[in-house]
Amino acid sequence: MKNKKTKVKVELTRRDFLIMAGTAGGSVVVAQALTTGPLSPFSNLKQGQLEGIESSAARSKNTFRWGMVIDLHKCIGCEYCLRACSATNDVDPHRPWNIVVAEKTSNGQPFFFSRPCLHCQEAPCVEVCPVKATYHRDDGLVVMDYDRCIGCRYCEVACPYDARVFNWENRTEGNPFIPTWGIGEVERRPRGVIEKCTFCIHRIDAGLKQGMMPGVDREATPACVNICPVGARTFGNLNDPDSPVSVVLAQNATIRLREELGTEPNVYYIPPEEGL
Amino acid sequence: MATVTVERKPLNISPGFLAWLAFIALCLMIGLIAAIQVFTRGLVITNMSDLVPWGLWITIDLSSIALGAGAFTLSAVVYLFGIKRFQSIIRLAVFVGFIGYTSALLTLVMDIGRPDRFWHPWVYWNVHSVLWEITWCITIYLAIMVLEFAPVVFETRFFRRWPWLLDIAHMMHKLAPVLAILGLMISLLHQSSLGATYGIVKSRPIWFKPSMPIMFILSAVAVGPALTMALAFLIEGITRKRTVPHDVLYTITRFSGLGLLVYAYIKFWDLAAVTYYGRTPAVSQALSMLSDQTPYNFGFWFGEIIIGILIPVLIFLLPSLNRKPINLIMGAACAVIGVVVNRWNITVSGLFVPVSYSPGTIYQLAPGQYFPSLVEWAVGLGIFGYALLMLTLGIRYLPLFPKTK
Repeated sequence: MKNKKTKVKVELTRRDFLIMAGTAGGSVVVAQALTTGPLSPFSNLKQGQLEGIESSAARSKNTFRWGMVIDLHKCIGCEYCLRACSATNDVDPHRPWNIVVAEKTSNGQPFFFSRPCLHCQEAPCVEVCPVKATYHRDDGLVVMDYDRCIGCRYCEVACPYDARVFNWENRTEGNPFIPTWGIGEVERRPRGVIEKCTFCIHRIDAGLKQGMMPGVDREATPACVNICPVGARTFGNLNDPDSPVSVVLAQNATIRLREELGTEPNVYYIPPEEGL
Repeated sequence: MATVTVERKPLNISPGFLAWLAFIALCLMIGLIAAIQVFTRGLVITNMSDLVPWGLWITIDLSSIALGAGAFTLSAVVYLFGIKRFQSIIRLAVFVGFIGYTSALLTLVMDIGRPDRFWHPWVYWNVHSVLWEITWCITIYLAIMVLEFAPVVFETRFFRRWPWLLDIAHMMHKLAPVLAILGLMISLLHQSSLGATYGIVKSRPIWFKPSMPIMFILSAVAVGPALTMALAFLIEGITRKRTVPHDVLYTITRFSGLGLLVYAYIKFWDLAAVTYYGRTPAVSQALSMLSDQTPYNFGFWFGEIIIGILIPVLIFLLPSLNRKPINLIMGAACAVIGVVVNRWNITVSGLFVPVSYSPGTIYQLAPGQYFPSLVEWAVGLGIFGYALLMLTLGIRYLPLFPKTK
């Protein structure tokens, strides 16, 4: 066996090596400059998102961190939130962003459970996206860039809360919830991209510009919160101790979904009075 | 400019070869029609859904990349460990690797919702994403294989009219050891992170474990070279010409047999730790749901363990069995089936178990359901046809097996 193990002779001179190392190093620099650097032809395309995922600690220093409290004891399962959301964001009613399900507590008491996107501070979807098409804004919202998404659906696989839906086809049908439950305030998403609840980001951003406070002024508050007939949903700035959402949080025992996964959702639940 | 007279030989196509080409053309036609359907009508015509967003195509991706692993494993044997007698199979191994990786990329382009944005991972970086890292590694490694293989293509008669190409090829040949080592590092990285794609997803109980990347790379390192070995025997049987010295192929066979044993060892402890001793409620519920409602256990024990490991290990390692080429081809085929079943079982079974997040009940969502649609099979057939076409052309026109001096 031993005599067969002749070494392969590496015919590399120092000059060859230096040329190769130079070429390799040079191409890294050029690649960097052409893709994310100053020479990039894409520099006009939202370069802000190319910066790293900031830590949740850094985000919590921001003025705003949007969050929601959902009171499971108040919820009557009317699905108004689902309908208002579908109308406002022009979402396919069969694959809603906002779901409502009938549940039972461990002692058999029925209750209704609803779920928007939880806007996790340590969001698995943001970690796995290969192109940063889904990312954290400074205010803690997990949002989508529909112009960047390649439709690989890894975020849909990784989300522990099933909060994401894919556009399997071009949607041409009408939306039965428009105009009864609201008017479409955002564009329909094209075929081939993932979409999800945005906490009605368009209302938040426009409202703040006009000096309104999301969670207090209706025009700046998510549609599902406004429509709820029993006031089961409270929305607002978690970084402001006097905001309605912070007050509700301070006065109630709350839980978050699958806390053990460490996703740190920004949506809290008040359990039914009978317990869970 | 030097003129080289290239005498044309009449094309010599036997009826059998013609039938083979017709079969390949049929596969490609079916695949092309299906691909056009997918591009025009969207992924709605597949059976994938929001509950099971990955399916047959991801299985094909993972399998063809794993089966292309012979390229980096055998390159490492030659250039890193300096065992020169394996040089005779390097060209075939790199060629098979190239076919595997390009098949994977073709399938991936079908699978993503926006094929027009396939280039986004190169421009928009998310360095935290394993999928981003995989995309980069696969494309870089594909480029490395092209560089490694370019001299073989430039040696053909067609390229002799541009002699300077051969000079470049010769220069690149000098690069081979560097490329091989670079390729080894990149391959080790992405072959494992394909497993990590599943292993890091904490919301999916049967995926979330650190053994995932290790099992992926071990199975790839064991089965990739076996496929290359089997193809060498198969080509020899069909063309009736010596391809690779048999002692090299026998060594690869034993290597694959031992590799499969190591894979089985990790798999055994993974089974013991995850499903026997360390069973968490989530894992237990997921597994009992899978065994009640899906052929998961059959796929695992019969497809992965018996077909994929036990039979090939016996064929590859028993002296009474591991000398007949037909046995070795069958053994490698079993090992390949084992890898494909494993990748399928992991992808689809992991998604069948719905994520559970409701505070009230476990599994408020119905278990996922999925069986590939006709269009998905047709695209798969097209990819298979592409692989066969490349292989056929390569065997016929490329100097895959240089004359040993």
